[in-house]
Amino acid sequence: MKLNSPKRRFVLSCIIGALLLLLSGHVDELRSYQGAQVAIFAIAISSIVLLTGYSGQISLGHGALMAVGGYAAVLAQIHLHLPYPITFLVGSAVGALAGFLLGMAAARLRGPYLAGTTLALAVGLPSLANQFHLLGGEQGLSFDVGSAPSWAGKDFSQYRWFFCVAIVVSLVIFWLLRNLLSTRYGRRWRALRANPTAAALAGIDVSGAKVLAFTLSSSVAGLAGSLFAMLLGLVAPLAFTLSLSFTLITGAVLAGVTNLGGSLVGAAVLVAIPELSNAVASHFGGSEKVTANLPGVITSVLLIATVLLVPQGPKFPKYPSLKSLRSHKH
Amino acid sequence: MKIFLNTILVGLSGGAIYSLMSLALVLVWRSTRVVNFAAAGQAILSTYIGYEAMNRMHNYWLSLPIAVLAGALISAIVEAAIMRPLAKRSAGTVVESIAPVIATLGVLGGIRSLAGLIWGNSFVQYTSPLSSKGYTIGSTTIPFSPQNAAIVIGALIVMVIFAAIFTFTRLGLALRAASFQPEIARLSGVRVDRIRTIGWAFAGAAGAVAGALVTPTTYLSPNSLDLLLVSGFVAAVIGGLESLVGAVVGGLVLGVGFAVILQYIGTSVTFSAAFIILIIVLLIRPQGIFGRRSGREA
Repeated sequence: MKLNSPKRRFVLSCIIGALLLLLSGHVDELRSYQGAQVAIFAIAISSIVLLTGYSGQISLGHGALMAVGGYAAVLAQIHLHLPYPITFLVGSAVGALAGFLLGMAAARLRGPYLAGTTLALAVGLPSLANQFHLLGGEQGLSFDVGSAPSWAGKDFSQYRWFFCVAIVVSLVIFWLLRNLLSTRYGRRWRALRANPTAAALAGIDVSGAKVLAFTLSSSVAGLAGSLFAMLLGLVAPLAFTLSLSFTLITGAVLAGVTNLGGSLVGAAVLVAIPELSNAVASHFGGSEKVTANLPGVITSVLLIATVLLVPQGPKFPKYPSLKSLRSHKH
Repeated sequence: MKIFLNTILVGLSGGAIYSLMSLALVLVWRSTRVVNFAAAGQAILSTYIGYEAMNRMHNYWLSLPIAVLAGALISAIVEAAIMRPLAKRSAGTVVESIAPVIATLGVLGGIRSLAGLIWGNSFVQYTSPLSSKGYTIGSTTIPFSPQNAAIVIGALIVMVIFAAIFTFTRLGLALRAASFQPEIARLSGVRVDRIRTIGWAFAGAAGAVAGALVTPTTYLSPNSLDLLLVSGFVAAVIGGLESLVGAVVGGLVLGVGFAVILQYIGTSVTFSAAFIILIIVLLIRPQGIFGRRSGREA
């Protein structure tokens, strides 16, 4: 069997999945919840890795795209009574549509304009929910995925079930993305990021590739948003704040923006920070001020330190040299 | 007609604030080619410092210069301690264009959390002695208040000072030269690094004035200036992102535009309006009113 082939990756994913699912039986509710959180953040971060790390476009608004996916999934359940796996697909599809529209605008913009536009989206979009009765206002809408199927056994807890769903979805997504990035699309994006002019001269449809990256990234973000809604049990404007978008960027930077596998590390760090900071805060007899804000301080310091000390990401300086691009078989 | 005039007046007051934030962004963009998303964070911190000063001295007018100085200092520190080393380290790498944006986001997030850590996340009042109740003309009360007048006057003063510095002083010349042609400026004896830090300090001062003037009309919390950041950015884009005059005009246009939307459509659209206006501007005239076509791609 060829090393690193899609088949091998598939087998590997299955093994990891089976191990994690077995493991989930031996941890408590909180750990199951955090495990699901890591899986969902990993999916969301991988969408940023795809967009920023591969196609070189920046988005400060992926929290808003997660909101789009989450709301779409919930509305599909409430109004169309679709079973939950289908609602995830709906969330993903609507996220893709939003990303396509945004990507059309984004392909014309560079650097500061794209960053600012997506920032405006992150600030503006969640508050839209307050204006439409359909979207449930400040309270949001509840989302019920239901408990584990009966064959899983009676003592199969709710969060363990969420964990299983999140793990299965994230492994599928990682397998798909990993394979996608090693196809010609992945190579095009990397060429595009390294040098747009050279890429265009080499016959790559630059704006087409950019829009495609934005669309796919948003569909992954939309999927992450619907899983996030499942975990929270609801969608509400407050769940998809500007801070969420920042958190995702932080995760991607900690992951070393160009490293897909790193998004798992980034997600784990993001979930661990509040836990750690709570321990620190309670050690110092922290007030509510401290417990609410210490995670933010730690995250920001980590983010700044990472870009300052290792601008290319922690120990994954795997940028494609011309040689490595050429050595790929077409 | 009377409603329309009121709307314009209120719009100009809001627009003056956007102009200041827009100036803060444009000054930094010109000097370092970075959109400083941390501008909102710096303004928050300087406004909290002004708030503390007012609690000690019980005088809003004395707390203003303290807030402005603090804003300039914070901004200079951010540039010298984070942005300058970052630019040197990431130069020539693939992340060169992304890293500064991410760093400013980190600073924004860090300052917001730090402010929450120190002052808490609940709203506090930073009040000015001026009334926020509108002037009464004859028998009708208009929404334009003495505080709104102070905002417009304060913004005007800042703009006049900036215009004077940029046009008439050696420092202004150095600032323009360093942003226009850094290499040639360096060869002509301009200390470009130091001049950049000064540019950031000016930007921080402008942001601090915006924060300290607008906060008495609302409230102060660690994220109370988020929307101002977005509005300032939209104003800067309208103005072409390069031009200081454009930043001011963009802010005023946006302020009046917002006021008209609020008056005739409703208050619920404030957050989305900035995004929609931005998209419209980018579709119709991406280079802004005062920008050159190539500016967008730089």
